[in-house]
Amino acid sequence: MPHILIVGAGQSGLQLGLNLLAAGMDVTIMSARTPEEIRGGSPTSTQCMFQPALQIERDLGLNFWEEQCPKLTAQRYNLGLPPDGYPDARQTTGEAAPPWLRTEVTPFTRAIRFTGPWEHYTQSVDQRIKMSSWLAEFENRGGTVIYQGVMTSDLDSLTALGRYDLTIVAAGKGELVGLFDRDASRSPYDRPQRALSCIYTRGMTFDPEYQDWAVSFANIAGVGEFFNMPGLTVDGDGMQPCNILLFAGFPEGPLGFHAWRERLSPTEHLDRIVRAMREYVPWEADLAGDIEITDPRPSLIGGYTPTVRHPIGHLPSGGLVLGMGDVVVANDPITGQGANNAAHSAHIYARHIIDNADGRYDEAWMQATFDDYWNYAKHPTVFTNAMLGQEPPEHVGRILAAAQAGHEAGKPVIAARIAYGYTTPSDLGWMLDPDEANKYLAEVAPEFATPAPANP
Amino acid sequence: MATPRTHPKVRPYVLTGGRTVTRHRLLVHTLVTVPYYDPGLAAAMLPEARTLYEQARDGCSVAELSALSGLSLGVTRVIVSDLAAAQRVRVHAETYGSPFDRRLLERVRDGLRALA
Ligand SMILES: Cc1cc2nc3c(=O)[nH]c(=O)nc-3n(C[C@H](O)[C@H](O)[C@H](O)COP(=O)(O)OP(=O)(O)OC[C@H]3O[C@@H](n4cnc5c(N)ncnc54)[C@H](O)[C@@H]3O)c2cc1C
Repeated sequence: MPHILIVGAGQSGLQLGLNLLAAGMDVTIMSARTPEEIRGGSPTSTQCMFQPALQIERDLGLNFWEEQCPKLTAQRYNLGLPPDGYPDARQTTGEAAPPWLRTEVTPFTRAIRFTGPWEHYTQSVDQRIKMSSWLAEFENRGGTVIYQGVMTSDLDSLTALGRYDLTIVAAGKGELVGLFDRDASRSPYDRPQRALSCIYTRGMTFDPEYQDWAVSFANIAGVGEFFNMPGLTVDGDGMQPCNILLFAGFPEGPLGFHAWRERLSPTEHLDRIVRAMREYVPWEADLAGDIEITDPRPSLIGGYTPTVRHPIGHLPSGGLVLGMGDVVVANDPITGQGANNAAHSAHIYARHIIDNADGRYDEAWMQATFDDYWNYAKHPTVFTNAMLGQEPPEHVGRILAAAQAGHEAGKPVIAARIAYGYTTPSDLGWMLDPDEANKYLAEVAPEFATPAPANP
Repeated sequence: MATPRTHPKVRPYVLTGGRTVTRHRLLVHTLVTVPYYDPGLAAAMLPEARTLYEQARDGCSVAELSALSGLSLGVTRVIVSDLAAAQRVRVHAETYGSPFDRRLLERVRDGLRALA
């Protein structure tokens, strides 16, 4: 049986490790942090996992929180507009001031809203809970864990020693990505596209219109996006349901990087998030009258450049390592695909590793393994990069209007198809391509199938 | 692209006797000793493993083993873990705390670019 080394104890690394252990392989994971450090640290994600990824976890016996974790039954879409209509993004120059630096604050209005039900629910288990538990589980099931913040020099020595038959780097967006060259043909951006500001809260109430757990999402014109993601988080030594709130701000907009530059205490951070909600998503602020932070480290602030990398890292002494998860495909979080991608990558890699247990994990095998994953990952990547545009294309405006009309008529066919697309991004072609969109709209909502005539 | 050097499929550290039941974390200050030194076994080991095996005869922390052998902490941990699994060395449990240097931890934490 081959010896496999996995660097990084996140969604992809631990899932692959546990999968290979179950297949009887000898697996070592190198983790920068102990389970206690992971659990007691800051959050790392909003990590909502859709049905296909949850099913992969279930099949491995790893969705330990199926019953405790809120089951999100729908995806709610909202479009927030400033009172004077859609802003012309091109006309703003420089950095717009955040709400707390202005005396005048005018709440946005909700121009579009609809709810897309899911056939199968989505769940978000705080990675602090999940990864600390999976790491302990990995050790209990006979895996070897070495607590080590790995450096390139370590990988160079370990591959040169020949201790392992295959080394996988699943170290997220950390420094080891430097081993893998950016694939410019698949990476349209060279800088972060959204300033992320996320906080874990409790005490939020249900929307009066939808009295069940759901993901709530908003496009905020000229500002960015907002997410309210119910999940399961830490509560001292226990667990509690929570609402994870995330603003993703356009870099130059009022919630851009400049807005979050100060060091804030968790309560100051929450205060600013709530103030931003009152202006940009007031319908969400109405549900947040009594919210508070869930734990001493409830915040995550930062940003990163969406990047696809070449999957094979070459070490100075000639050793080869294969990248997985965010190391090779890091999508911006605005479409909630990253952790799902990580689960799919680990799933696909596991199959290739097991199928090749008697062979060599050489360069050709590595490339073929990644290519198989890319066949999946290209869909969420193209979708996410398209969504990073700051204004929706004309045909998307019609899709949203049509989805709202269907919602109001009690027939959320389009809303449901959009919600399904998030879970299965290969189905999203109809939304990305104007001709496909028009064809689909002609079937389900003919009155929206052609662009409105231009105003005279 | 560099042409990868091919490695013969040697297993430098044969894992004998299955896995150890009690696993102890190899923190930088965790003590490692050799319960029974076997010179014949030492002679048959690969150089890196032999160096660590011999150094540990006097009882050393993981950090000391790394410094004395000139192997990185990562490689030291991997080899000590193998030697422990084969019951060639003993890893003492009575030490607690984080294995890491805070600064390193912060660098690798999540790769989110911290705001300046
Ligand atoms: C604000 C935010 C919200 C998000 N929301 C969602 C969402 O709703 N849905 C979704 O699907 N995705 C979401 N994502 C993305 C998702 O969290 C990631 O894509 C996913 O966690 C990637 O998994 P991974 O296994 O590749 O890496 P990670 O989960 O990042 O794991 C990498 C691990 O490697 C460790 N590590 C790093 N460097 C080293 C080293 N040198 N040595 C040893 N260990 C190391 C890290 O400590 C970490 O434990 C979000 C991300 C952010 C930032």
